[in-house]
Amino acid sequence: MAELAKNMMEIESKPVEEKLTPPWKEAWKSFCKNRLALIGLGIVIFFILIAFLAPYVAPFGYKEQHLADRMMPPSSKHWFGTDDFGRDIFTRILYGARISLWVGFFSVLGSVVIGTILGIISGYYGGLVDAIISRIFDIMLAFPSTLLAIAVVAILGPSLQNALIAIAVVNVPNFGRLVRSKVLSVKQEEYIMAARAVGMRDTRILFYHILPNSISPVIVQATLAIATAIIEAAALGFLGLGAQPPTPEWGKMLADSKEYLVQAPWTLFFPGIAIMLTVLGFNLMGDGLQDVLDPKLKQ
Amino acid sequence: MTKTLKWLLISILAVSMFLVGCGSKTNGTAGSKKTAPKKDTLVFARGGDSTSLDPITTTEGETFKVTQNIFETLLTYGKQDTTIHPGLAKSWTVSPDGLTYTFKLQQGVKFQDGTDFNADAVVFNFDRWMNGDSDKFPYYTMFGGYKKDAGHVIKEVKAVDANTVQFVLKRSQAPFLKNLAMSPFGIASPTAVQKWGDKFREHPVGTGPFKFVEWKQNDHITLEKNPDYWQKGLPKLNKVIFRVIPDNTARLNALANGEVDLMDGLNNSDEATVKSNSNLQVIERPSMNVGYLAFTVTRKPFDNKLVRQALNMAVDKKSIIQSFYGGQAIPAKNPMPPSIEGYNDAVQEYPYDLDKAKQLLVQAGYPKGFTMDLWAMPVARPYMPEAQKVAEVIQESFSKIGVKANIKTVDWATYLDKAAKGQFDAFMLGWTGDNGDADNFLYTLLDKDSIGSNNYSYYSNDQLHNILIQAQTESDQTKRNDLYKQAQVIIHDDAPWIPLVHSTPLLAATKDLTGYVPHPTGSEVLSNVEFK
Repeated sequence: MAELAKNMMEIESKPVEEKLTPPWKEAWKSFCKNRLALIGLGIVIFFILIAFLAPYVAPFGYKEQHLADRMMPPSSKHWFGTDDFGRDIFTRILYGARISLWVGFFSVLGSVVIGTILGIISGYYGGLVDAIISRIFDIMLAFPSTLLAIAVVAILGPSLQNALIAIAVVNVPNFGRLVRSKVLSVKQEEYIMAARAVGMRDTRILFYHILPNSISPVIVQATLAIATAIIEAAALGFLGLGAQPPTPEWGKMLADSKEYLVQAPWTLFFPGIAIMLTVLGFNLMGDGLQDVLDPKLKQ
Repeated sequence: MTKTLKWLLISILAVSMFLVGCGSKTNGTAGSKKTAPKKDTLVFARGGDSTSLDPITTTEGETFKVTQNIFETLLTYGKQDTTIHPGLAKSWTVSPDGLTYTFKLQQGVKFQDGTDFNADAVVFNFDRWMNGDSDKFPYYTMFGGYKKDAGHVIKEVKAVDANTVQFVLKRSQAPFLKNLAMSPFGIASPTAVQKWGDKFREHPVGTGPFKFVEWKQNDHITLEKNPDYWQKGLPKLNKVIFRVIPDNTARLNALANGEVDLMDGLNNSDEATVKSNSNLQVIERPSMNVGYLAFTVTRKPFDNKLVRQALNMAVDKKSIIQSFYGGQAIPAKNPMPPSIEGYNDAVQEYPYDLDKAKQLLVQAGYPKGFTMDLWAMPVARPYMPEAQKVAEVIQESFSKIGVKANIKTVDWATYLDKAAKGQFDAFMLGWTGDNGDADNFLYTLLDKDSIGSNNYSYYSNDQLHNILIQAQTESDQTKRNDLYKQAQVIIHDDAPWIPLVHSTPLLAATKDLTGYVPHPTGSEVLSNVEFK
């Protein structure tokens, strides 16, 4: 009897392992085939590592000033040179990664959560709720995103945290619309009708069936949005509306040294490169994810 | 692949179009320069806009820079010093007791709107000012308050005849004549003042060499030659445009591109760039200023003297000067520059000593430090071209004694307004002397009478007040100097400010500009300026 049970288990479990590879594994495989996506992932991981290790790796303090050594060109002591306060630019770039990733990740997380909730509600319930939410999205999308972000910061007051909130607010309608359209199509699927037919509660249908089936484009969009968010944070920093001194935010670093473009180009070069690389990384990764996760583009 | 190629081509085209655009523009200006007979429009670029064009309604240098050309004062200063010379008054006499001043006025002078300038016009102006209050005419405090105040110096101003005006004083005031020559006391056309009322600040009419044409806020102010100007042959220019370009580098670029002819607020770090450009010249303004960090002493924790002294010890002025003034400034220890009579060189500067500063903070009851807002000017000022950067250096050294300073800024007009209302914890600011007298620094900036006008730190000390009033009344210059020296000792001990620097402000101009002589007060008449 015991032997029989053992055999049965074997029989049952075998086909599952052999025939059905889990979807994430399949996705990972096709992601690995995309070389650019891998490079993007590499860059992103690299900057995440930098962000975590900054305090251990950085040779100086990010706000440590040595006015006697101001605007020194790159050397063995200061790899990326020093800025107009004699602060080590290499150190500030490392710490800057923390800020940019933090802003990028959390602002997008915020807009994903709010956007998804609003999108699901308006897509699933339709009618007046849908009309109101959609019109709000339309109004928000009518503004150029940076302008809207500036307006939000102007209301809240300039600081890094408020810049984060502003960017999150600006991105909400993008996610909201995406989720709404996805929900509209998923809602028509037979398994949803079946769920309704057996009398499942709305919340359960929404969060157990509709949400998981609508989320993959959101993941793609989120990855790409992180890139935009980093640029927007840098733009706000550049305008003096984001990070406040002495925070080593890359955009702020650019703004602070733009006067020295001719005398000390390295003060602009390295923060510029850092912004470019992270944004490139997220964009490549996002493109790769899109190929993998978006069924419409799937070959 | 073909798509990428296409994009590449398009972007190359776009870039080359941009470059071609630049090229033709420079050619254009070069060509017109050759054909034009002689340039007679001066474009003067500066960092901030005027807050008003009625000079008595403000105390701020960007206003005087413009109004100095529209209005004239009874007396004027020397070309590059603060000696007294005739202005609208061609001669004057003083009674032996120093209480009666009689001025003979220039004849045949007309305001730009055609109104006659005479003794009645002078009386009208003084009546207007002395019946105001510190909200309306802040600078009138130079005469000890307003008509209703006990400390008011002027008993009456009367017209003896059409061209003679007499001032009778209640008490003698040593810097009286120097005060009369200050830009705010430019004589305005009574007709225009009555016509415009409060709007006169946007429609100024005086007797000066240039008349007002147009003011576009935060962009430009246009002045035009006054064809009926009483000094024959002046002004040499036909038009003056004051343009606002807040960013120092952008302003210099505009000068290098030929968009403007003269700029102030040149970064010391850019001096070499200008010198190496054969089309440009550097002009130095004689120094008569102080850049400082003030505490609003009515706010916690700055009501505590020990805190203020501690912070005084936490600023490395030498490094600041080396880094952000190109070495062209001297560290300040008093609220007035050493070039002014009565400067107390015996005052011992607070040393840059972080340990001592920490001890003082502990003594003051702040062993863990505190958090404060540090406001920095948004625009280049002659005494501080790069306030944000200086603030950042100070922020860093404050952080070493546990004081967390958040640097903040706001546009210039709001900045001054908030500072005057005492809404800042601590703020950077400065002062360019108006008349070269110690009174114009110590009394104007730190006496309790000046709270609400230029005493932004709300510092009030009765002992100091008595000394400063005594010094105003005293006519013996040596005794005055002694009094001012005492005053500086008191101020140093109370430490309402961190005096930072006395700078030599730099300007830059195109090479063919001549006749521009910068005045130490920060504003000058442009009537002798012309292009070669």
